[in-house]
Amino acid sequence: MDKPSTLLVHFDKGSAAMANEIKADLEGSDVAAKVEAMKRAVMLLLNGETLPTLFITVVRYVLPSEDHTIQKLLLLYLEIIDKRDSAGRVLPEMILICQNLRNNLQHPNEYIRGVTLRFLCRLSEPEVLEPLVPSILENLEHRHHFIRRHALSAISAIYRLPHGDQLIPDAPELVERALASEQDASARRNAFLMLCLCGQERAVAYLFSNAERVTEWPDLLQMAAVDLIRKVCRSPNRADKGRYIKIIISLLSSPSTAVVYECAGALVSLSSAPTAVRAAANTYCELLASQSDNNVRLILLDRLNELRTSHRDVMVDVVMDVLRALASPNLDVKRKVLDLVLDLLTPRNVEEVVLYLKKEVVKTQSGELEKGGEYRQMLVQAIHSCAVEYPEVAGSVVHLLMDFLGDTNVAAAVDVVLFVREIIETNPKLRVSMIQRLSDTFYQIRASRVCSIALWILGEYSLSLAEVESAISTIKQCLGDVPFFTVSDEGETTDSSKPAQQMVNSVTVSSRRPVVLADGTYATQSAATETISTPSVTPGSLSSTLNLRSLILSGDFFLAAVVACTLTKLILRLEEVQPSKLEANKACTGALLVMTSILQLGLSSYLPQPIDNDSYDRIVLCVRLLCNTGDDVRKIWLQSCRQSFAKMLAEKQFRETEEMKAKAQISHAQPDDLIDFYHLKSRRGMSQLELEDEVQDDLKAATGGFTKETDDANRLNRILQLTGFSDPVYAEAFVTVHHYDIVLDVTVINRTKETLQNLCLELATMGDLKLVDRPQNYTLAPESSKQIRANIKVSSTETGVIFGNIVYETSNVMERSVVVLNDIHIDIMDYISPATCADVTFRNMWAEFEWENKVAVNTVIQDEKEFLNHVIKSTNMKCLTPPSALDGECGFLAANLYAKSVFGEDALVNISIEKQADGKLSGYIRIRSKTQGIALSLGDKITLKQKGSS
Amino acid sequence: MVVLAVSIISKSGKVLASRQFVDMSRIRIEGLLAAFPKLVGTGKQHTYVETENVRYVYQPIEALYLLLITNKQSNILEDLDTLRLLSKLVPEYSPSLDEEGVCKAAFQLIFAFDEALSLGNKENITVAQVIQNCEMESQGEKLHKLVMQSKINDTNEVMRRKVTEIEKIKIERNKTENEKSGPKRTPNNFNDMNRDPVFHDIDLLPNKAKEHPSAPSDALKKAPVKGMVLSKEQKKTDQFIKSLEAEGEVILEDTQLSAIQSRSSSSIPPSDPITVTIEEKLNATVKRDGGVSNFYIQGTLALQVLNDVDGFLQLQIEKQDVPGLTFKTHPNINRELFNGQQIVGATDPNRPFPSGQNETHLVRWRIEGLGESFLPLTVNCWPSVHGNTTNVDIDYEASEMFDLQNVVISIPLPELREAPSVKHIDGEWKYDPRKSVLEWSVILIDQSNRSGSMEFSVPAADPSTFFPISVGFSALNTFSSLKVTAVRPLGEGSSKYSQRVRLVTDKYEVV
Repeated sequence: MDKPSTLLVHFDKGSAAMANEIKADLEGSDVAAKVEAMKRAVMLLLNGETLPTLFITVVRYVLPSEDHTIQKLLLLYLEIIDKRDSAGRVLPEMILICQNLRNNLQHPNEYIRGVTLRFLCRLSEPEVLEPLVPSILENLEHRHHFIRRHALSAISAIYRLPHGDQLIPDAPELVERALASEQDASARRNAFLMLCLCGQERAVAYLFSNAERVTEWPDLLQMAAVDLIRKVCRSPNRADKGRYIKIIISLLSSPSTAVVYECAGALVSLSSAPTAVRAAANTYCELLASQSDNNVRLILLDRLNELRTSHRDVMVDVVMDVLRALASPNLDVKRKVLDLVLDLLTPRNVEEVVLYLKKEVVKTQSGELEKGGEYRQMLVQAIHSCAVEYPEVAGSVVHLLMDFLGDTNVAAAVDVVLFVREIIETNPKLRVSMIQRLSDTFYQIRASRVCSIALWILGEYSLSLAEVESAISTIKQCLGDVPFFTVSDEGETTDSSKPAQQMVNSVTVSSRRPVVLADGTYATQSAATETISTPSVTPGSLSSTLNLRSLILSGDFFLAAVVACTLTKLILRLEEVQPSKLEANKACTGALLVMTSILQLGLSSYLPQPIDNDSYDRIVLCVRLLCNTGDDVRKIWLQSCRQSFAKMLAEKQFRETEEMKAKAQISHAQPDDLIDFYHLKSRRGMSQLELEDEVQDDLKAATGGFTKETDDANRLNRILQLTGFSDPVYAEAFVTVHHYDIVLDVTVINRTKETLQNLCLELATMGDLKLVDRPQNYTLAPESSKQIRANIKVSSTETGVIFGNIVYETSNVMERSVVVLNDIHIDIMDYISPATCADVTFRNMWAEFEWENKVAVNTVIQDEKEFLNHVIKSTNMKCLTPPSALDGECGFLAANLYAKSVFGEDALVNISIEKQADGKLSGYIRIRSKTQGIALSLGDKITLKQKGSS
Repeated sequence: MVVLAVSIISKSGKVLASRQFVDMSRIRIEGLLAAFPKLVGTGKQHTYVETENVRYVYQPIEALYLLLITNKQSNILEDLDTLRLLSKLVPEYSPSLDEEGVCKAAFQLIFAFDEALSLGNKENITVAQVIQNCEMESQGEKLHKLVMQSKINDTNEVMRRKVTEIEKIKIERNKTENEKSGPKRTPNNFNDMNRDPVFHDIDLLPNKAKEHPSAPSDALKKAPVKGMVLSKEQKKTDQFIKSLEAEGEVILEDTQLSAIQSRSSSSIPPSDPITVTIEEKLNATVKRDGGVSNFYIQGTLALQVLNDVDGFLQLQIEKQDVPGLTFKTHPNINRELFNGQQIVGATDPNRPFPSGQNETHLVRWRIEGLGESFLPLTVNCWPSVHGNTTNVDIDYEASEMFDLQNVVISIPLPELREAPSVKHIDGEWKYDPRKSVLEWSVILIDQSNRSGSMEFSVPAADPSTFFPISVGFSALNTFSSLKVTAVRPLGEGSSKYSQRVRLVTDKYEVV
């Protein structure tokens, strides 16, 4: 492992030449200049300079200084200098600082003593520490707690060094004695931690002897005690677990919430008995209710979520407590609560949960909540999924939800209408009442998209005569009187209800940039979709009951076409159920009148924008159909529609179950995993291995101590040759890409018969790469080899290039020789991993991101789907478009791909291709991202790979 | 349960300062910090980010992020507490909350982080305590330094004494040599009254003194030089005093300095041919809980005659009987004349009073056995301890007899880092941190302000530290009310004279 780094300070104007200035300042007597010089010295060291000559200056001129700041900076300096030579031995000059450190340890200023002791905690050279031990131990008795605290930490750190027990053989006894008489909270904590780490049985004895008083301990010490209990329970001796649990339970009533939180965590790891888990869950819930900080709430919810995965049965009982957290104003918290609760539904509690959610929905109506609309949408979605899972509850909520069809928050209204659509299909019992209700509330609907879906439902599910008739009359009512405009209106536009303002509206609409449809293609006609997101109907018309009329008059011909289709469908059905032919014909003519009026409106110059071709065709088709019905058409209209919808729902469900299965598959055990048999575990909590892994790995992972060894075969594939075989120096590199860094392991071989001196690997980078350390100079004996390691930091996903030279001197040639290395290209693919996101988020990001790279398709691949798969494979992305949508051979293909980089950047790709008459594919691949790097690099990658010859 | 690192980075992702508490490689910490800005979303209402391995808990401070890096098992409640503390520390140390400010204070911030999180473990500590810990002001060290200083002083004292002894021996030797070799120097009687014998010694042995490079003799040499120069080269003195003042030395250009200085610095070169100076010096030691000891007045009548011609004169004085007053006249003064006719004249009328710049002391008197009621000014000091502060109430009361000028009451204080907080004061105050003395000065005490008070507070201290309080003032009339009513020239000299009467404090202390 690399040398640990203890501090970083920003510094950009460093040069080795400063070393002399620093030296001069250090030798001077001006304290302020000395302080500055020390700072600069530390910064230079952090910057990678070694400043080997500075040490003696420091020893001579800085060590004796009385100034406190200088002494502290000196300790920082000592902290970061190399204290060992290349062979790992302690440098002999380090002994020079010993005397100074000892003086500091006996300094009359308690703070100097304290900071020196703290510095010793970071020191790992026994040679330096050994002479200091007596002074450290003396400090244990000092009257000032600041010193005692740090003395205890220092003893702990020294004792834990390799062979540290030889430096202070009786450390645990000393500390135990100190602990017994100590009063200061922090010092007691340090002493206790030391015992936990170095003499566990002593710590346990202390804990048990004070078991009654644990609740009175200061919170710092309580934390340490909980920590100890966690650790102790890992050992096989668990006979006295009850005592530990007792202590934990008593600590649950601690006034410090941090301790309570920790206790709950410890409780879960101690025991998997339902009582313990329930206590933990309850504690979390209480904290959830009492803590107002969003961070805390979110993390508590994470903890509860963990409990859910392992102890679902217990968690089911606390569902209502969790739900109470919905009172938080934060949407993230609410979302998490809802997610958690939805996973905990059982037939028993679903009623209660839905009731609560319903109440929450009602609360949002009062409108005092911020972002009420968004919250309502979340609630609707939650209720939706409740109802899907437990259809019996749908009846109790659907009517309430239908009140929100007219919601001004379009997204929430859309969710509601989608919910209604699904319920009405899956829950035939509710159909009659829902259709009734829909007819009643239809006039409230304002948004065009909601309108069209509601119309579809009306057309599809109005079955009985009364329903059909009421549906027709509702629609007609909402359309108002035909014709939509009179000839006189055409003449003087100013007089009509939507004059100039409408002009403005449509102008803004058409000036927008192209819109992406759900399947990823660009919409060429903006009118169809724009009004979805902008219910920008003139306010005056909103208040009128004629919602359909106003929408159509604002130029929404897509909706008009939907109206026409719905009417057609209703008429066709009416012909089936209406015994009187006369009535049916009457209705039919009425519908025809409406349709022709719409067409007339569309073709007139009354609206600035004429009807689009699609809608026109559709309406004309409807007119034709009504005039000339046939059985085939009738069947298509009345049955196939419904069937395909049912099929869609079924497929959705199928996909969900598939995903669940896939997830379940992943969590299966690996071949060599430890298997815990539930029945053999006898509810003793997690196994020892699990526990140890949990705590240790977490810290290790966090500090980056984890390096997963990849198999050697793969390693060999990634070796890059950097120089030619006939060069005097041969070099090859093995590139390892971790998350944020690239490690180059370069092997350098001297191929000559001479000794190469001052051999240096010089590297330069292009792109978002940064070299961390300066490589050192080496001397290479004839025909020997050397491993040089270089760390490179990456800060964004971008194709990077590393250039380099190897520079060296030989004894007979005076000037330096240079061998230029091959470029090393860092592949962007190493940073990208497939990811998923919701359709809506994808479209939002697509609209929001600034960088687009458009790559024209140029490939030898003839098949659309094959091409898509090829792109997916070569870019390491995930296709968001469901496979069913890609089915069929139509010569077109549009798909969305998505991936996320390790830096959290999003990469969006849309592929739109068409098969030409000559069998070639043409079209574009568009890449969008927030940063330029990804868009460019990914574009390059695709251009390179799309040929598909490989 | 350990915080891995505390860092401050700019919004653009530049790492300004970071302190790691757990062993981690440089590339790792830099990687973690570089990844952070990309992970921070906008518009969120929570301030933590979790990645696969670590959790960042952060707080935006203007253009910066202050963040804690912890592992995911870490206790969020504790971490938030810590973050709250740290976020209060940053503005304490950073002059401005931007890149530049943090860079400037990077090391102080790192020291402060060290205090707030000792080795990554949370400490129950407040901002004030962190600041205190970082300042490292230690009572123990001060004590140690004092002890050391006093040891050095003691040694110096011993050395000085030794040096004077050696020099005295040398003088003795020189004197005997002089007596043998050269004519004896005739001492001027009148002048000798003014002079300190030690200075004589030095004057006599300027060369010898110079040969001693040791510190004490240097100090001795400097003191008289200062005294001599002051009266002659006023300009230089002013400069000197000014620079002294700039260095924090308190220079009172009035009489209550040491005897030597008052004599030399206060004598303004007289313009009148004859000047009579009547001066009374007040000595008193007042106990803090009442009672007075050592209360006596010393008075002098001094004459200064500029020209030899005017030297033949007699002074007509007017004196009142004051209990406890005793006069002493110069041996050359006619005692009968003085006692009988209240005339100061020489015994030998043919011998003139010495002329020149020097004053000639003709009469001395002393008033003893005065009661407490005669004190022109009484000072009461009431220190009281409230928690960790000591409030001190001081008041003075002046008697009706005198109008006092330039009243300075110097109260010694315990050693403080900053000036005491004065809550209420009649007059002005000044704090001399070097001597840790608080000086309360009132320019004039007359009918309008016969009494006044001051109130200030300092950190808790022993009440006895505020004593002895020394008081200095001057007044224009004296206890003895001795006055010169006329000057009678015996020859043809002028009778024009000027008279200066004043009362000054010599040593007036409240113990």
